[in-house]
Amino acid sequence: MSSPLSMRQQENRLEIGVRGYDSVLSLRELLSGVVPEKLSAALTVLLGSSVRVVSADGGWVMGEAPVLTNTARRLPLVNELETVGYLETSSSDEACVRAVMIILESFMRSGARYFMASEMHIEVVKTDYEDLQRKHSALMASEARFKALAEQLEERVKEQVNTIASARSQLYQVDKLASVGQLAAGVAHEINNPIGFIRSNLSTAQSYVQKLQGVAELFKSSSDTALCDAWQSDDLDFVLEDFSTLLHESVSGADRVARIVSDLKGFSNVDQAEEELIDLNENIRSVCNVAANQINSRADLKLILGELPPLHCKSGHLSQVFLNLLLNAAQAMKQRGEIQLQSSVEQGQIVIHISDTGCGIPPEVLSRIFDPFFTTHEVGAGTGLGLAVSRDIIRAHGGRIEVDSVANAGTTFSIYLPIDRSAS
Amino acid sequence: MAELDEVTRKLTIKLVYYGPAMSGKTSNLICLHDLLSPDLKGEIMTLETHNDRTLFFDLLPLGFRTPSGWLVKFKLYTVPGQVVHDATRKAVLSRADGVVFVADSQRSQGVNNAESFQNLEENVGRVGLNFEALPLVVQFNKRDLPNVLSETEINERWSVAPWPLMMASALKTTGVRETFIRLLEAVYPALDKNFSLHEKLDTDVVSFINAATGESLGNRS
Repeated sequence: MSSPLSMRQQENRLEIGVRGYDSVLSLRELLSGVVPEKLSAALTVLLGSSVRVVSADGGWVMGEAPVLTNTARRLPLVNELETVGYLETSSSDEACVRAVMIILESFMRSGARYFMASEMHIEVVKTDYEDLQRKHSALMASEARFKALAEQLEERVKEQVNTIASARSQLYQVDKLASVGQLAAGVAHEINNPIGFIRSNLSTAQSYVQKLQGVAELFKSSSDTALCDAWQSDDLDFVLEDFSTLLHESVSGADRVARIVSDLKGFSNVDQAEEELIDLNENIRSVCNVAANQINSRADLKLILGELPPLHCKSGHLSQVFLNLLLNAAQAMKQRGEIQLQSSVEQGQIVIHISDTGCGIPPEVLSRIFDPFFTTHEVGAGTGLGLAVSRDIIRAHGGRIEVDSVANAGTTFSIYLPIDRSAS
Repeated sequence: MAELDEVTRKLTIKLVYYGPAMSGKTSNLICLHDLLSPDLKGEIMTLETHNDRTLFFDLLPLGFRTPSGWLVKFKLYTVPGQVVHDATRKAVLSRADGVVFVADSQRSQGVNNAESFQNLEENVGRVGLNFEALPLVVQFNKRDLPNVLSETEINERWSVAPWPLMMASALKTTGVRETFIRLLEAVYPALDKNFSLHEKLDTDVVSFINAATGESLGNRS
């Protein structure tokens, strides 16, 4: 709404060739509404003599050939104060000539009116159209702005939904782990006591058996034949020997129970949010113990553990990650295969590869496996949270988890954990 | 902006009568046509609807020839006052050399006058003219009617405005000629500055106005 706009409008008008309602009109334009032949024929009849209408510059003529005889007259035709042409006639009838002049000038006036009205109409229509276009483009611009906003909104809602989903998945998992942890801790505590006295009793029993073996020689070398026969018939030599073996096996069995219970306790420490300085290999070993039963039926587990520096971490959470990956690997086995767990240090990071020789992950699924609630299992069989939570845990430790899979050949998950998180 | 054609020796000046609907712009032109007797005087060309309201504009051509053979032509236009015809008002206003704002003196018309004057100011800007520099005369018309604002009231209200205030009654032919002369007095210096009229046309403001109104040359028609 400033002057440059109107300049542009004027330029447009020049470009399109609109002449403007106030332009100077020629005689030809003023008489454009009449048929020249008919008008000049009528004027000839009215004047009773030859008649001609000529434009001021002589360039446009209506009527017969030149009538310029001695008696010829030339009368100016005026439009808007200016002579635009002449009436030439040899008629000497003053009244008739004046009447013809009035007729001609009336035609010219009506021509001028028509011209001005139509030019003004064009101009007004053009301005209105330009106004409309300007409003239209302003509307388009604002529509585009709102569209962009709407799209952004959608994106932001999606982001929020994702944040909420992953927070929920973590909460869910943490909650689950916490209750499992509590249960495990409770069970471990309950088992710990009896296993303690069982173990100690077994040791005592072993020493008793040794004592019995010392006395056995006395029995056998005794002269009491009844005693010797009874010893022989009950095969107490074998009993004593087997007793010792049984006790030995029971001790190692009780030791194994004690170890599993202690692993379970360490593993169930998920609700313990404090970070501690640990050797990750220890974690891996204890997870393998916990999972051994489920893995052993399906695969051979091979540990290649390199020497690792102590790591500041939430060990219970990382154990959960290893367990998830190990159990996934075991489930991927259609026939008995191998699961390899490898740990090493590369460029300031602890790197852990967990490889299996299972069925592999189809490429179309590979990009989604870390999405919360994504699962290939039947409804109810899996939460679809294991890998999502695993990734979140690794990220919380400043690390990353990658997957590499070949269909029907196997899958390798690689975990990278920075040793010094403040440096990364 | 006036058009000056050196070849045909012609100066065309555009003057516009602006104002709210029914304030008497066309009456001003009719009255001027009757009152003035310049060298050259055309008929009023009206482009009106059947109900006598101006549709596009009215046009009154006036003019005179200087002794040196120059044709000075005035084209006096009115604009349609109704709000809807804003595009027409802008078209008529473009390239104007001077404006008479015809206000309706009746007390009931205060709002219409104000809106129309604001519309004039906006449109002057839109067509690329400078409102500060535009020669403008404000005429309060219909002084003959009852229930009009008093001259004192009008003068008070417009006391800070820089434009000449004229009282008129177009139907009683008073004040119309004076308004036109006041406008020419404002227009002449601007034209003189742009085209050096005193050199080219050999005129001064008095002879210019006299010739335009037909005062001293007498009625030659």
